[in-house]
Amino acid sequence: MSNVSDVDVAVGRSKRHTARWAAISLGVVLLLFVAVLATRKSAADKQAESPLLGKQAPTLSGTSLDGSQVSLASMHGKWVVVNFMASWCVPCRDEHPELIKFTQRHQAAGDAAVLGVIFDDTAPNVRHFFSELGGSWPVVDDPNGQTALDFGVRGPPESFLVDPNGFVIWKGIGQVNADGLDKLVAQGKARGA
Amino acid sequence: MGATLGTAGVWLGLFGAVVGVATLALGLRRRDPRLLEAGRKYTWVILGGAVLAVVAMETALLSHDFSLKYVAENGSRQTPLLFTITGMWSALEGSILLWAIILAGYLAVMVHHFRKRATDPLVGWATLTVFVVAGFFFALMAGPANPFRVIHGTVPTNGPGPNPLLQNHPLVAFHPPMLYLGFVGFTIPFAFAVAALVTGRLGEGWLVETRRWTLFAWGFLTIGIILGAWWSYEVLGWGGYWAWDPVENASFIPWLTATAYLHSVMVQERRGMLRIWNLSLLLATFSLTILGTFLTRSGVLESVHSFTESPIGPWILTFFGLVVFTAVALIGWRGDRLRSPGSIDSPVSREGAFLANNLLFAAFCFVVLLGTVFPLLAEAINGDQLSVGGPYFDRMTTPIVIALLFLMAVAPVLPWRKASEEVLRKRLFWPAATATLVVVLCVATGLRGLAPLAAFWLGTFAAGSAVRQLALSARRQGWRGLVGRANGGMIVHIGVVLIAVAFAASHAYGHQREFRLSPGQSAHLSGHTVTYLGTSTVKASNKTSLRAQVRVDGGKIYAPAVQQFPFATQAIGSPSVKSGLANDVYLTLAAPPDHPGGSAVIGVIVQPLIVWLWIGGAVIAIGTALAAWPGRRRRPTAPVSAPIEVETTGAAGTQPPEPVVVPGA
Repeated sequence: MSNVSDVDVAVGRSKRHTARWAAISLGVVLLLFVAVLATRKSAADKQAESPLLGKQAPTLSGTSLDGSQVSLASMHGKWVVVNFMASWCVPCRDEHPELIKFTQRHQAAGDAAVLGVIFDDTAPNVRHFFSELGGSWPVVDDPNGQTALDFGVRGPPESFLVDPNGFVIWKGIGQVNADGLDKLVAQGKARGA
Repeated sequence: MGATLGTAGVWLGLFGAVVGVATLALGLRRRDPRLLEAGRKYTWVILGGAVLAVVAMETALLSHDFSLKYVAENGSRQTPLLFTITGMWSALEGSILLWAIILAGYLAVMVHHFRKRATDPLVGWATLTVFVVAGFFFALMAGPANPFRVIHGTVPTNGPGPNPLLQNHPLVAFHPPMLYLGFVGFTIPFAFAVAALVTGRLGEGWLVETRRWTLFAWGFLTIGIILGAWWSYEVLGWGGYWAWDPVENASFIPWLTATAYLHSVMVQERRGMLRIWNLSLLLATFSLTILGTFLTRSGVLESVHSFTESPIGPWILTFFGLVVFTAVALIGWRGDRLRSPGSIDSPVSREGAFLANNLLFAAFCFVVLLGTVFPLLAEAINGDQLSVGGPYFDRMTTPIVIALLFLMAVAPVLPWRKASEEVLRKRLFWPAATATLVVVLCVATGLRGLAPLAAFWLGTFAAGSAVRQLALSARRQGWRGLVGRANGGMIVHIGVVLIAVAFAASHAYGHQREFRLSPGQSAHLSGHTVTYLGTSTVKASNKTSLRAQVRVDGGKIYAPAVQQFPFATQAIGSPSVKSGLANDVYLTLAAPPDHPGGSAVIGVIVQPLIVWLWIGGAVIAIGTALAAWPGRRRRPTAPVSAPIEVETTGAAGTQPPEPVVVPGA
C-alpha cells in the first residue's frame, strides 16, 4: 500500500462516512420511487377510461352469425358485455372460455349477457371459431368497421360493459375474465341500488 | 418443433446462467482458480441457448409456424421477408429474446477478451454479475415473457403481421438492434464497476477496461437513438423526429449518464479524482436502462412504443430494485475508502470544466427523468392524471444545452490544473471570431430569433474549437492526429454540434401548411412549389396504398400515401420526403380525394437542415470509432505525459492512451 492510500483512509475517516450516509439517503429515496412505480396501474387501464364512459352506448345493430337481426338496444334491462373479437386474435381465443363461463353463470338469472362484435374478420371464420370453442351469444358482423370506430376500438379484444339503461360503465383493453366481469356487474348493481 | 427447440434454448441459457453463477460464486469464495476457470465456460452454454432460441424463433417466423402464439400474433403470410425477420423484435417477448442474444454476445466477447485473466477475482466477479443479468432475462423468457408459447386447439392459418408501423420502413431492421447493442452493452461496465467495488480494487485496471466498453455501448446507443429519430421522421408523418415520448426518454436518460461518465473518467485517469462519482455513473447508467425497460415495457406509461399490457412489469421492477439496492449498498460500503487525495485547483481548468460538464449532464438527466415519471409521481401523490409534454422539456433543457455547447467550446482548449487568461484568449480567439462572423452573416441574410442564433454562435464556437484541436493534432502527428480518444472525441463534438444546429434551425425556421389541391394545381411554401398530379392505388401483398403524385419544384415526383393494412382498422399515413442539404420538403397525404379525380389535401412541411441531423449522427459514429481505435501503446513505465506538449498545445492532442495509475485504497 502506498502513502497515497494511507492518506485516503485518513481522509475517509475524518469525513465520517459521507458516502455511506449519501448512499443510505439515496437508497431511501429510490425505495420510495420503486414503491410508487410498483403501485401504479397500467396505462392501458387508464386509457380504458374512454370518452364513452358514463354516456349512452353508440347504436349497435347488425346481422348475427345465424342471420337474425341483433341490436344492443333490444338487450335493454340486462348488463351487456360488448366484446370486440376476431378469430385470428390469440388473446380472444384465450378469453373465450371466460366469456362462456360468464354467460353460463348469468343464464338462469338472465341479468347479463355477451354481445360479440367481429373486428377485422369474416363471418365464416368467426362461425368456425365458435363451432370449435363453443359459446352461443349473438355476434354482430361489422364489415366496414363502423361499430369499432364508434366505440373507439383499437384492436381486439376490447370489451365494454353496458348497464341495463344502455350506459357504458367500463371499458377494458385486452383479455377479460369471468370473475372480473362479475365484480364489475356487482359494483354496478350496488351503485345503481 | 420450433417451440420445443426454442424452449430448450431458453432453458439451456437459464441453466448456464444459474450453474455459472453458482460455480463462480463457489470459486470466488474458496479462491479456487479451477472453479473460476470452469465457471466462465458456462458463457458458451448461455450463448448456445440464446442462439438456439433465436434460430428457433426466426425459423418459426419464416416458416409461418402459427402454432406459436408469438408468430400467430406478429407474423403473416403476406408480410415481406424483411419484416418477417424483424418480426422477432416487433413485440415484447421477441424483444426480450433480442436482448438475451445481444447480452450473450457481449458476454462471449468479454469472456474471450479476459480469457488470460479468468482466475482474477475481479474478472470472476464481473463475469458473475453478467451471468446474473443474463439469468434474469432468460428467466423472463422462461416465465412471463415466453416467446415460445404454443396455441392450444386449432392453429390459425394466418396472422395479422407486425404492427403496421413496424412494417413500413427498412430502418426497423436497424434501429432496435442498434439501440439494444447500446442498452445491453452497459451491462459490461456495470459488471466491472460492481466487481471493482466488491473486490475493493478500485484504483487500477477496471477503469481502462470499462472505458472502451462504455465507449462502444455509447456509440451504438447514439446511433440507435438517431436511427429512431430518423425512423420517426420517415414513418410517422408528423414531420418531427423527437417528441420527448417516454420511450425516447428511456433511451436518452442512460445516454446522458454514459456521456457524463465518458468525460469524467478522464479526470480520474489524470488526477485520480471523482472515483465514487464515476462508479456511480456506471451503476446509474445500467440501472437506468433497466428502469427505461420497465417504464416502456410494463405499460405504466403510455407511449407510441409501449407494447400492450404485459405481465413482466413486476419482474422488471423487482430486478430494478435489486440492481439499485446492490449499487447503493456497494457505494455505501466502499465509498468512503474511495476518497481522492487531490482536489480541483482552479475552476478554470480542464478538470473544472469536466466537473461542470458532469453537473450539467446530471441536471439534464434529472430533468428528463423527472418529466418522464412525473405523471406517475403526481398520480401517486394527489391522484391527478396529467401528462408532461414538449414545452416542459424544451424549456427546461434549452438552458442546459446552451451551457453544454459553451463548455464544449471552451473545455477542449483548457489545460489541466489551471489556465491563464492569456492562454484562453489565444486559443479561443479564432473559434469565437468565426462564430461571430457566422452569426453576422445569418442576420444579414435575414435570420432572426435569439435562441437559434445563440445556438448557431455556440455551435460554430464549439465546432471551431474542435477543428482547432484536430488541426493542431493532425499537423503534429499526421493521420494519427485523428485517432485516439481525444481526437475522436473532437470529431464526436463536431457531430453533436451539427445535430444541435440542425435541431435549433428545424425548430425555429420550419414552415407547415396544408393545401387543398385539384389535380394539376400548385402551391408555394418557403420557396418551394408543390404540384399535385393525382392519385393511384397500389396493391402489395401486405398492404394497399393510395398514393398521391406530387411534383416538387418542377422536378422529381414524390408519393405521399395512405396505406391500409389488412388487420388494422386505421389507415397509416406514409410521408414522402425530398431531402436536401439546405432543407427538406416533407409531404403527407392529409386527406385523399373523396372521388376519383377530386381534390386532395396535401400537407407540406419545409424544415431547414434536417439532413444534418443524420449526417451529425454519422459523424458521431465515425468519431466514436476513431476514439476507440487503439492509440500508440505506451509501456507502463513510459512517462504518462509530456509536460512541454501539454503546456504549448493543450492536453487534448497529447493525451496518453494509458491512464495515470492511481493506487487504490
